[in-house]
Amino acid sequence: MEDLVRYPIDSASAKGVEYAEARLHVDTGSGVTLRNGIPEPVQLARAKGIAVRVLVDGAMGFASTNDLSRESLSGIVEVAYRTAKASKKLVSKPIRLSKEKADQTRWESKSRRSLLDVTTEEKFDVLEEIEKTLRPDVVKADLPSRTLVLFDNITDRYFANTEGARIHGTVSRISLLYILTVSEPGKGTIQRIGNKGETGGWEQVEKWNLPRFVSEEATTLGRILREAKHAPRGELDLVLGPEVTGIICHESCGHPQEADRILGREAAQAGESYVKPDMIGYRIGTAAVTVVDDPSIPNSYGFYLYDEEGVRTSRRTLIREGIITEFLHSRETGAEFGVNSNGAARAVSYDREPIIRMANTFMLPGKYTDEELVGDVRKGVFIKTFMEWNIDDRRYNQRYVGLEAYLIENGGITSPVRNPILEITTPGLYGSVDAVGKNAQFEAATCGKGEPDQGAPVWHGGPAIRLRNVRLGGQRVES
Amino acid sequence: MEDSALNPEQIVDEAVEYGAKLGIGEVAAAVTRERRKMLRFANNSVTVVQSWDQTIPTVYMTWKRKRAGARVENPSIEALREVMKTLKAAMDIAKPGQVEPTLPKGPFTYEPVPQTYDDRIPAMTNELADVTEEAINAALAEGARRSSGIVLTSEWERFVKTSAGAEGGDRGTNIELSIRAFVTDDSSGQGNSCATRLEDFNPKSAGAEAGRIANQARNPIFGNEGKYTVLFGPAVMAEFLGRTADFASAYSVDLGLSFLAGKVGQKVASEKLTLVDDRRLPGGINSCSFDEEGHPTQRTTIIERGVLKTYLHSSYSVAKYGGALTGSAFYVGGTWGIAPVALNVIVEPGEHREEELFERVGDGLYLTNNWYTRFQNYQTGDFSSICRDGAFQIKNGRVERPLKGLRISDNMPRILQSITSLSKDRRWIKWWEVPTPVYLPHIVVENVGITRATK
Repeated sequence: MEDLVRYPIDSASAKGVEYAEARLHVDTGSGVTLRNGIPEPVQLARAKGIAVRVLVDGAMGFASTNDLSRESLSGIVEVAYRTAKASKKLVSKPIRLSKEKADQTRWESKSRRSLLDVTTEEKFDVLEEIEKTLRPDVVKADLPSRTLVLFDNITDRYFANTEGARIHGTVSRISLLYILTVSEPGKGTIQRIGNKGETGGWEQVEKWNLPRFVSEEATTLGRILREAKHAPRGELDLVLGPEVTGIICHESCGHPQEADRILGREAAQAGESYVKPDMIGYRIGTAAVTVVDDPSIPNSYGFYLYDEEGVRTSRRTLIREGIITEFLHSRETGAEFGVNSNGAARAVSYDREPIIRMANTFMLPGKYTDEELVGDVRKGVFIKTFMEWNIDDRRYNQRYVGLEAYLIENGGITSPVRNPILEITTPGLYGSVDAVGKNAQFEAATCGKGEPDQGAPVWHGGPAIRLRNVRLGGQRVES
Repeated sequence: MEDSALNPEQIVDEAVEYGAKLGIGEVAAAVTRERRKMLRFANNSVTVVQSWDQTIPTVYMTWKRKRAGARVENPSIEALREVMKTLKAAMDIAKPGQVEPTLPKGPFTYEPVPQTYDDRIPAMTNELADVTEEAINAALAEGARRSSGIVLTSEWERFVKTSAGAEGGDRGTNIELSIRAFVTDDSSGQGNSCATRLEDFNPKSAGAEAGRIANQARNPIFGNEGKYTVLFGPAVMAEFLGRTADFASAYSVDLGLSFLAGKVGQKVASEKLTLVDDRRLPGGINSCSFDEEGHPTQRTTIIERGVLKTYLHSSYSVAKYGGALTGSAFYVGGTWGIAPVALNVIVEPGEHREEELFERVGDGLYLTNNWYTRFQNYQTGDFSSICRDGAFQIKNGRVERPLKGLRISDNMPRILQSITSLSKDRRWIKWWEVPTPVYLPHIVVENVGITRATK
């Protein structure tokens, strides 16, 4: 594989480019589905392709192919060079890259049992064990629609650049997608789309105890449908579970602190940011709030050690005790801000450019037990999970609609409530956090950004958090 | 280095032949070869030019009520055979499904769709920057200060061959510009132009539209929650109606993720709405002559005067749900492999001039764009979506002032039922948030729920 990445680098160097890199991805993946107990098509995905990036007089060119012949590799170097050069007349600020160490290394996610050694039969067995626990007599609810999918993927990446970096990384990733619809006569339906995912081998699946996990989800949905009343509206206190804390950290901390968004590079797609370049040191929340992004957590869904620019990564503290402290950087934005890259440039496949992404974004745990968080609330709502959510393209105005949620009355959790709606600004949210729980949990997700779109595997999470005096409301058409 | 990739005809021949050797009942093989270039720009400056040359084979197999499929972005005989052998082994041990789908029986004659290829488009290299400059300058001339977006050119060839006797080839070109212009951080507008031929492509008008909306949107104030009569610009309804066409796919219905499930023959929208998936439209952005099961494409009316006429179908969904093939089967991955998808979503026009629609709204809102639509429940259609770019209050039939901070919080079936007027003029919408091209007018909807953040 070494020659496949070295050849384009040498070809680009011969053209006198400022910088060139080549990246080969070899992907092996499969998907196994059980739909209402019936197998759906077994699916495989294979990909083997290469991308090059060249910097020519401050203009960036990218080209990619899955034809790995010498002629084709020469062709993509030529087209990257030619198109970059042709675009120079419209490059008002030449692109520069931060100076980084050129490592030569090998890294991988650890697996005890390789996903390649797991048979299709074993995968179906896992799904069938889950399916058995979704019977009405087990979950006390009728599930007319059940979809269970096990996805696995192993990516081998070889990276080389003109500065001498040579990185070979391997990531093995597995996830369960479950889509459940619970129905109750006279009560309608309720739906849950969830993911469980980690890097590693088949041992991850074995430790998840999926039949119990999914069955509990289904039982809860049935209970909500049968028992939940309208959520209260107006000003009150909220306790948000780890799943909600996680999506908040991802949407209104991680995304707005991506330096490419701050500079406007994603303006026509995923948008810009309320955060401006000079906002390092700006208070956005209470002292209880510290949010980090850390790709290096073993077995995390967003795990990696080197990014797709060959930069070693580590934990980034985005908000420390309520104050914005760090942005997510690539080499391009690092040079623009006068800092080093912090290894946030990811590309999800051979045919995508590296752009700034989160990996595992979460709020650091505090000192409170969950009982203490709830115990100090006289009138409020505990939102444990969510289904609908969104945020504006400056990451300022966001909405989370609870799925599993309960009233809090006089310090105790009481009856379930349906669809509580939190619609709030980013400083309004982080400025209302007065207490953070001890126990962090994480959810696997796929984050979309870039054009062409790149769905990056990420984790987000944290502990339960408490918000004081926020407005629960919104307006919903009752269907 | 490796050997040169196989050509597409070799790949489909090999897949069908090897499938027969493995004893697989039916095989549909498709290969798309695509050469694309994309110039991305931000703040009036180019950020990167990207190019791709990819050959992407897919294979779909059915045998004894079992199905399997693969995307093989590694166009070599070894990779193809390894995948098909692995799939056959998986089918051997998998339990059979409920129905036995049968691939469409060929041979078929495929009539090429006119006006889908322009050899000047793939030849563009330096011209990408020229097109970008034209759009940016048009936005600046309308008062914008900075613009971001993309110019994309694409040339594609697709080949299909099935064990049921279908075989054919097709090709096309696309060019697309999407531009978002800003006057300040909270006053922005979007324009787009997409076409299969250069004479139908207009970067200048797209840039001017983006700049004009951004300029009109200067100094917005926060809007208020409530129920409004809303004039939706084509971009918003392209997102909603593109999704509606997706919900009409039998695949969405089967997954339990469609509010259209079980409603064929029922009134699901205002009688003003007729929604079509027309893959044979001359010059249609995604027009093509066959699907990836080898069935000829067609014009399929999904909703006719408010009544749901059919789901979009593949051979599997016809076997499971009944109905007729719609030439909609493409390899999507997901859980089905090959599944029915909408390609060219067309909304039949109304009878009003655009200006008349403002008068018909009287007092309400004009929303030009949106993003981030998410559903609470796909079967009921409860959802919300964020307004983006120019949003305006309409008073006495005229645009009164720009607004910000708004969210559409409503129910999709209710929105469809509450369409009251459509404009005569239509246009194509396709951009990052609307990946399936939609050709549609401005549309008025009554009693739309609007919310906003309050802290």
